[in-house]
Amino acid sequence: MGLTNAVVNGILMGSVYALIALGLTLIFGIMKVVNFAHGALLMIAMYAAYFTWLLTKANPYLALVVVAPLMFAIGYLLQRYLIRPVFKAEADTREPISALLLTAGLMVTLENAALLVFGGDYLTAKTSMTGVTYHLGSVSVSAARLYAFLITFAAGGVFHLFLKHTETGRAMRAVGQDRSASSLMGINVYKIYDIAFGAGVALLGVAGVVLIPFYYAQPSVGQIFGTRAFITVVLGGLGSVPGALVGGLLIGVVESVAAQFMEATWTQVLINYGFLVFLFIKPSGLFGSPYDS
Amino acid sequence: MSIKGQAIWGFGAVAALAAVPLFLTQPYYLHTVIMILFYAFLASSWNIVGGFAGQLSLGHSAYAAIGGYTSTLLFIHTGLTPWVGMLVGGLIAAIIAVLVGMPTFRLRGAYYALATVAFAEGFRVILESTKHVGKWDTGGAEGLMVPLKGNMPSLMQFMGKAPYYYVILGMLVLVVLVSWYIDRSKLGYYLTALREDEEAAQALGSNTAIAKLQAAAISAFFTALGGTFYAQLVRFLEPPAIAGADLSSQMVLLAIVGGRGTVLGPVLGGVLLTTLGELTRAKLGGSLLGIHLILYGIGVMVAILYKPQGLIDPLMAGVRKLARVVNRSRAAAETGR
Repeated sequence: MGLTNAVVNGILMGSVYALIALGLTLIFGIMKVVNFAHGALLMIAMYAAYFTWLLTKANPYLALVVVAPLMFAIGYLLQRYLIRPVFKAEADTREPISALLLTAGLMVTLENAALLVFGGDYLTAKTSMTGVTYHLGSVSVSAARLYAFLITFAAGGVFHLFLKHTETGRAMRAVGQDRSASSLMGINVYKIYDIAFGAGVALLGVAGVVLIPFYYAQPSVGQIFGTRAFITVVLGGLGSVPGALVGGLLIGVVESVAAQFMEATWTQVLINYGFLVFLFIKPSGLFGSPYDS
Repeated sequence: MSIKGQAIWGFGAVAALAAVPLFLTQPYYLHTVIMILFYAFLASSWNIVGGFAGQLSLGHSAYAAIGGYTSTLLFIHTGLTPWVGMLVGGLIAAIIAVLVGMPTFRLRGAYYALATVAFAEGFRVILESTKHVGKWDTGGAEGLMVPLKGNMPSLMQFMGKAPYYYVILGMLVLVVLVSWYIDRSKLGYYLTALREDEEAAQALGSNTAIAKLQAAAISAFFTALGGTFYAQLVRFLEPPAIAGADLSSQMVLLAIVGGRGTVLGPVLGGVLLTTLGELTRAKLGGSLLGIHLILYGIGVMVAILYKPQGLIDPLMAGVRKLARVVNRSRAAAETGR
């Protein structure tokens, strides 16, 4: 596999990292809460995608119409009934730590509940598409990864339009910029939080659907993607949407290219420890506001 | 409560705990009690940085692994007794905790938590994919056996369970005493100040980054001691168990349910939840993997929703109330006479 091939495949995988990170950075940008259950919720989305496909045996991407709304509902309800009460209790704190702890508790609960319910087996959607690769010159990519990239970009585009051009999207950005001012302008801040959390988790629904044809669902799969999403958002700048995109692609490419020179497990070490070094040099991230750090 | 009162209560509690192996002689039950104290110890160690300094570490299992692997490797290859090896491991863990903390302790909020996750996950992968350090065999993903030399107290190896019980009890008492001391020391006041309002603390001239690093180093040191104890007790180190995310979360969850930032909260949380976990495991059997972690996770969410300061708060209030009632009835009995 040549270097060009590695870069292309890195970009394809990186787009999925970017999508996962987009949900995380959205939630942080608006609520100032780092959602530690993000990886675990992705794991739920992957199981949802897997079982939707298993029951219908339809095209695995059609599961989007079920999984994305389902994940939105899960996110919305979690924020409404679990996080909101904690949030209200420390409404005047700049970065509420209890909400963060709550999501950490949620992560542990979800992961182990999944182990209990689904067992530890590795589940993946094997379709006629599995193993199919497309070739263009020296570059060869698997069909599933290419579709993942395309759908991810479409989802990111839709999300961007939603943030820029709808009333709710504008309200979300306003709350992210200044909670009290937007509240004075008549925005129901808590309602916006519910929607923002729901939207962030719905993006995980999309990620879960595009991952399941070439990746496996397993109770601890969220740990890998969760950590990578944290690294991505800090790399791009916590709360920054373009940062999540660039960060995700960058990590995908670094991982893919590094795998040419070392064992795949060591790329994880490289990314994690490279992240610590980066944090030391530029904690506000590539696109973050220096005031947030 | 006065220092004298605290000392009397503390001494009484330790004496009562020290008597446990006299009644509980079955190895299985004794092992369970040892694990309960072990988790209480780990939660208390975590609490020094996670509670007192308010810096949420989600990667503390890495320090336990550093302790366990350091003392074990030194023991296998140089014959150094784990009693000394654990101190070496503790020091290495403390240094590494400072290195991990340095990039993030000038920052606020979640950065430290994210850095600890990245560090610990990377460390677990390193342990799993490294088979040799120099000429020393580290076991890699298969794990590392601690060779059994027989009943050798000088090597922290015992044939019975009771000595292990006293070792972990001693370690727990030590970490509680250190926590108690920190809570009342200058460092403790710095930590409280920066936890409550970091900018105000800085404005008043306290170097919050140094205080955080000190707390992180002490916390990692004790966690590493726990790692050595675990290695000697179980005699087998496996990266996912000793360096995995589950152990890290466990320390956090136990401390929060008990009451983070208090001296006795993590002990309470550790004892209560681990007992609950062991009971459900015994009742429901080993087929239900991770059931104890589900309980801990739900416990934390309930605690944060209803008792954000942890269970130690209402418990202490209850104890004080009881003491008042006792005093009053005694006084009433005396005037009545």
